[in-house]
Amino acid sequence: MGTRTVIPFGPQHPVLPEPIHLDLVLEDEKVVEAIPKIGYVHRGFEKLVEKMDFNELVYVADRICGICAFIHSMAYCQGVEAVMSVEVPPRAEFLRTIWSELARLSSHLLWLGLMADAFGFESLFMQSFRIREKIVDMLEEMTGGRIILGVCRVGGVRRDVPNDALADIVRRVKDLGVEMHRLADVFLQDDSVKHRLVGVGVLIRDQAAELGCVGPMLRASGVSRDTRTLGYAAYGSVDFAPIVEKDGDSYARCAVRIRELFQSVDLVAQAASKIPGGEVGVKVSGYPEGEYHSRCEQPRGEVIHYVKGDGTRYLQRYRVRTPTFANIPALLRMLQGCELADVPVLVLTIDPCISCTER
Amino acid sequence: MSPLDTALLAIVVVVAAPIAGGLLAGIDRKLSARMQSRWGPPLLQPFYDVRKLFRKETIVVRRSQNFYVYFFFVFMVFTAALFFTGGDILLTIFALTLASIFLVLAAYKASSPYSFIGAERELILMMAYEPMVLLAAVGMYLVTRSFIVVDIARSPQLLALRLPGLFIGFVVVLVVKMRKSPFDLAASHHAHQEIVRGITTEFSGRTLALIEIAHWYETTVVLGMAALFFAALPWLAAVAAGCVFFLILLVDNVFARVKWQVALATAWITAAALGVGNILVVFFLR
Amino acid sequence: MSVFGMSRTIMRNLFSGPATRLYPTREKEPHRAARSRGRIEIDIEACIFCSACAKRCPTDAIIVSKTDKEWNIDRLRCCTCNACVEVCPKKCLAMGNRYTPPTVTKDKDIFRQPPRPPKEPETIPGA
Ligand code: SF4
Ligand code: SF4
Repeated sequence: MGTRTVIPFGPQHPVLPEPIHLDLVLEDEKVVEAIPKIGYVHRGFEKLVEKMDFNELVYVADRICGICAFIHSMAYCQGVEAVMSVEVPPRAEFLRTIWSELARLSSHLLWLGLMADAFGFESLFMQSFRIREKIVDMLEEMTGGRIILGVCRVGGVRRDVPNDALADIVRRVKDLGVEMHRLADVFLQDDSVKHRLVGVGVLIRDQAAELGCVGPMLRASGVSRDTRTLGYAAYGSVDFAPIVEKDGDSYARCAVRIRELFQSVDLVAQAASKIPGGEVGVKVSGYPEGEYHSRCEQPRGEVIHYVKGDGTRYLQRYRVRTPTFANIPALLRMLQGCELADVPVLVLTIDPCISCTER
Repeated sequence: MSPLDTALLAIVVVVAAPIAGGLLAGIDRKLSARMQSRWGPPLLQPFYDVRKLFRKETIVVRRSQNFYVYFFFVFMVFTAALFFTGGDILLTIFALTLASIFLVLAAYKASSPYSFIGAERELILMMAYEPMVLLAAVGMYLVTRSFIVVDIARSPQLLALRLPGLFIGFVVVLVVKMRKSPFDLAASHHAHQEIVRGITTEFSGRTLALIEIAHWYETTVVLGMAALFFAALPWLAAVAAGCVFFLILLVDNVFARVKWQVALATAWITAAALGVGNILVVFFLR
Repeated sequence: MSVFGMSRTIMRNLFSGPATRLYPTREKEPHRAARSRGRIEIDIEACIFCSACAKRCPTDAIIVSKTDKEWNIDRLRCCTCNACVEVCPKKCLAMGNRYTPPTVTKDKDIFRQPPRPPKEPETIPGA
């Protein structure tokens, strides 16, 4: 038995975009235990329901996270709309779908970049971000915001995009597909990358399900579960089947996300081709009364927004269960027995979003 | 060369080597940035960095850690002076290793888990590249019958032609020595995702500046050794050093960081196959 | 065995010039898309100081003073949500597509309406 060292991993660490702390108990270069501490970026978002009315709260929901912002606001709006029985115009539903998928593209590309950085492949990191920048530019052209789009509102969306602009976006996203293929080839074929990903952090199907994983984590272990199959927004009207890999290691998770990139491109194209005309929002009157669990598929997995109104301007209760929260137990399981060199890869493989988790 | 000439040359080397090394570091950063389609820092950024470090407060965990860094620096300067004044190549290699050992000791002394692991990895890396460096010296001796750098350099034979395997093996060593991917396990130029800054985590201010400058000396010495393989044709030596430098940047940008087991295996397998193989060929075909 | 898979991309990058800019010395041209939410612009002459924007602002970035005829905004608080623009009855607010330049101080941008000339037009100060 080697000597034991405790490595304080975080809260400030180059691999972590956000603060989470892990005490890694090491035996030489082997991790025997990982003890997490969270709570560094708790901001009490959910308490803001006392100060902001249900319309203003959309801005808050939009800012829960800096990467999957749009889907948060969409999940919140869907919750309130369900409580108030608001019928959202179909064009708004389609626009929401398009923006969700573009947000997923930007999030997955960000993840790929961070992952490349985690295994020390700097140029791959920069290349991912370079592609992502183009997606973010498209979002800016359509909505005015790059990351925090601020276009969702209860009852629809706040900005319409003309059909010819949508067609242009679809053409450009498809063009980006070529560059994404080149990127994907490196991630999935390069031997030095495979050396860092294959067989690292294996979760078999039962483990993943038992630990309550969500999103790409779960799908990479062979469980076909994706909230988009519920058909919220316009997902019911497009062809969609969850992407599943079997191996359950970091490589499989990477593969799921890469295949989802191309799926997202396809979904954007499908939604843009089927989008109906008409209004993009309805006027909402009255105050929410009742409760609802709104579920959406974030790039990181299933997010649940719980809203409860009591017939006043202010909601009574608002709660968010984020995907990272569901994936942390799996992370701790994977860290046991891994090598120190694998820790950054494993931490990133769940695509952690700590500020989401702690709000 | 008279002793006075040697002394004068040594002074020139001590002044010029870090300038060359710093410029190389600047070119390195600019080229790497362009390979990643970034704008990149100004060419003189490494010098600005060091100037800034000298003005910073030096915070230490233990006073004695700086002591080892001074030794690291002094031995690195000595190595450069010895090599470029045409001294004994074996002594140069020994001084280079000793300098690195002092850095490892300094990192151990700092008693932080990150620098500790960085130091362990640095030792593993030294184990990985040291055989190859020694084999290169032996190979040069077999061809030129001398361990003295001046004699090796004056030899009319183009060493790279007789020792191609050793040369390729030496390029692998260079990747390790310049702290480049895939072998940047112990420390790297940017923030390190596994162990923060690895071996240099606990150094700051003036001490870190000294480590930086010592690293410039190191870069010039190892590139100089690579150029020695082409010393018969000076223009070719310069071109070769440039090409090797570019190749290392390219390799840095197309590889993920490997784990230490693979680093050790790669270095030893190259040493055994290319290095020993090459030496055997030279030895028996002489 | 597949290595050096990235080298084609890298060489292309090397010869095609950088994709980044030295912001803020060099800005993107045209600066941003027409829709970009850069920062709030006000046509102070048209403002009637009704405070509708300040009430609606979710971040309390706007402070309106009717007595001083003053409208000010804390740019660092503003989250460019556009709510004030939508609510303004005089349509004197607009979302400009240029960002606020980078700053190291937390200042407010203060806009004051010049006192209206009673009758004589020659009292207009250099507004
Ligand atoms: S854009 Fe939004 S945050 Fe900014 S001043 Fe207007 S209402 Fe306030
Ligand atoms: S809402 Fe418009 S008119 Fe009213 S105070 Fe604000 S800017 Fe002035």
